[in-house]
Amino acid sequence: MIFKKVALASVLASGLSTVGIQHAAAQDVLFWSTQANPVEEAQAMRESVLSGFEGEVDFQPSETGPWLTRLQAEMEAGSGKIGVIGSLHGNLISLGDGMADLSDVSADGVNGTFLELGKLGTSEQKYMPWMQATYVMAANKKALEHLPEGADINALTYDHLVDWAKNMADASGSPKFGFPAGPKGLKHRFFQGYLYPSFTNSMVSKFRSAEAEGAWNKFKELWEYTHPASTGYSFMQEQLLTEEVWVAFDHTSRLADAFNERPDDFIAFPAPAGPTGRGFMPVVVGIAVPNTAPDMEAAKNLVSYLVKPETQIETLKATNFFPVVDVTLPDDMPAAVRINGAAIAAMSGSADANPGLLPVGLGDLGGKFNAVYVDAFERIVLGGQDVREVLDDQADTLRSIMEEAGAPCWAPDPASSGPCPVE
Amino acid sequence: MTPVTLLSRGAVVLLCCWVLLPIYLLIVNTFSSQADVSGFPKNLIPPMDTENVEFFMGYFGVGKALLSSLKVAAITMILSIGAGAPAGYALSRFDFRGKNLFRVFVLMTRAFPLPLLALPLAVMYIRIGLDDSVLGLAIIHTVLALPFAVLITYSLFSGIPIELEEAAWTLGCNRFQAFVKVIFPLVLPGIAASAVFAFVISWNEVFAAAVLTIENRTLPAFLLQSLGTSPLHLKFAGGAVMVVPALVFIFLVRKYLFSMWGIANR
Repeated sequence: MIFKKVALASVLASGLSTVGIQHAAAQDVLFWSTQANPVEEAQAMRESVLSGFEGEVDFQPSETGPWLTRLQAEMEAGSGKIGVIGSLHGNLISLGDGMADLSDVSADGVNGTFLELGKLGTSEQKYMPWMQATYVMAANKKALEHLPEGADINALTYDHLVDWAKNMADASGSPKFGFPAGPKGLKHRFFQGYLYPSFTNSMVSKFRSAEAEGAWNKFKELWEYTHPASTGYSFMQEQLLTEEVWVAFDHTSRLADAFNERPDDFIAFPAPAGPTGRGFMPVVVGIAVPNTAPDMEAAKNLVSYLVKPETQIETLKATNFFPVVDVTLPDDMPAAVRINGAAIAAMSGSADANPGLLPVGLGDLGGKFNAVYVDAFERIVLGGQDVREVLDDQADTLRSIMEEAGAPCWAPDPASSGPCPVE
Repeated sequence: MTPVTLLSRGAVVLLCCWVLLPIYLLIVNTFSSQADVSGFPKNLIPPMDTENVEFFMGYFGVGKALLSSLKVAAITMILSIGAGAPAGYALSRFDFRGKNLFRVFVLMTRAFPLPLLALPLAVMYIRIGLDDSVLGLAIIHTVLALPFAVLITYSLFSGIPIELEEAAWTLGCNRFQAFVKVIFPLVLPGIAASAVFAFVISWNEVFAAAVLTIENRTLPAFLLQSLGTSPLHLKFAGGAVMVVPALVFIFLVRKYLFSMWGIANR
């Protein structure tokens, strides 16, 4: 017992001494990120991306909740340890004034549209575009023989997809189309950036239109042949690898494992098209420097390092997110990059491409905005409620969100002078 | 065999399966290759593929996070018993105004969700310099563990007749000596059990750890958040990395737990 007390006391003492020495530790740049969070990606970030930086970088990925709380705390306290932050466009928006101006960091070759997005409507460069991704479809090659007649895999329509899902369900005895409708699945992006633009040429203003009603009814048809466990799916690569489903829609980085593990068994292809084109949504990830960064210069150096073409290629290998800088990709890229890349090129280059941007100008209402689409999905598709009623209901919520945020329309909705109207 | 013994044995087997089966599956999948984890049928005997475990052995910062976790949990144990046991003793031995109200209020610290408290706490910690320290986090974990420590020790002390203490007083002990020589040995197993409880609370806590520490993160804050978005085979291996130290700890202190439940310790 005495031994135990001594042991515990020394642990306590070492705990106290940690408090004492923490301020003397060497100044690394702390990189606080919601991206590259999966352990393998985090490891690759440290080993192959950040190791080339001249200073020391402590890469700490985190979930969005703690990520944001920690940043808000540092900003409120007026001092902090975090040097560089990395996250989705939507998360960075809510930090607005807490971020330092990056106009003096060189942004050679960085995509102009994304740079503009990073200004968040101000004259300052609030964040620097870091990487981009999008959502595509993936299929097991087994599924191809069930493609409906006359359908071109690179130019599918929603009708084709429903027929295809039906054929697979009939042939194999169980639904083989999978949709990431789980708690961590990215289903809202499908409705915002794919279903709505494809059927209504809009994301917001035609939310309750007759065309939107048609879109939801089409999705309900698809749902009949969708694997019922989809409400638990978050990363479709898992179900593709276990062959629980043969065809799926998801974020490119959430499909990457399937392509990398068995590149000969899986293909990627563009999302389907509807009456108003082939809707798809590019995702932008940015890096920023909080005003409370302990070493502003080192932090800005890291930002500038991360947008160099060589670093961007290493980042692509580590995270399966694509560069925001013009680069020529070398030949030795992982299978997922090749396969996803080809599908993205086919999708964005298709004649009927109809890109929709991530929500712009919603500030911290982004979560509520997503909830409008998720609630509509749950009520219409899972709850079987009347489409018209649900859309009218949710449109009221959507309208009040847009008015509270005062956000003008973004693509594919036509520009508006005031807050984006919900007709 | 009578139906009653048959039933009770069946219940024992069922309970053992309930605890052991998930751990068994975790271990099997930890030592399987990625193809085996997502394949079917499953292996029942681990193929002893150590690739996933090796990934975590080489994963940057795991050792440091494990050490931080142990330190935080140990300090939490000491602080919560150090403050909780005297409170429990006072509740059981003394009558004072507002005693019942106090017992309710002790539980109130658990009534507010941590994500709600985390922001103001983190701001305060940064201002007073406790931020990103093992001690600072242990204090928060102590707050979480304290209600249980107080209530468990309260019922422990209440179970020991005051006459034992009074006898010691008549034989020349003062209050403190009577406590140390008579009461303490009797409640030791129970105290150990509530210390284990404090340890487990601290070991499992993620949100406060993820917000209040950055460089000195505990293992759950460090791993759990990343594991949620990692591929299946690494989830299993990471799960094992998290579970095994806690199992080892429980195994080491099992005799205190058993003696509290009245099972002979041989």
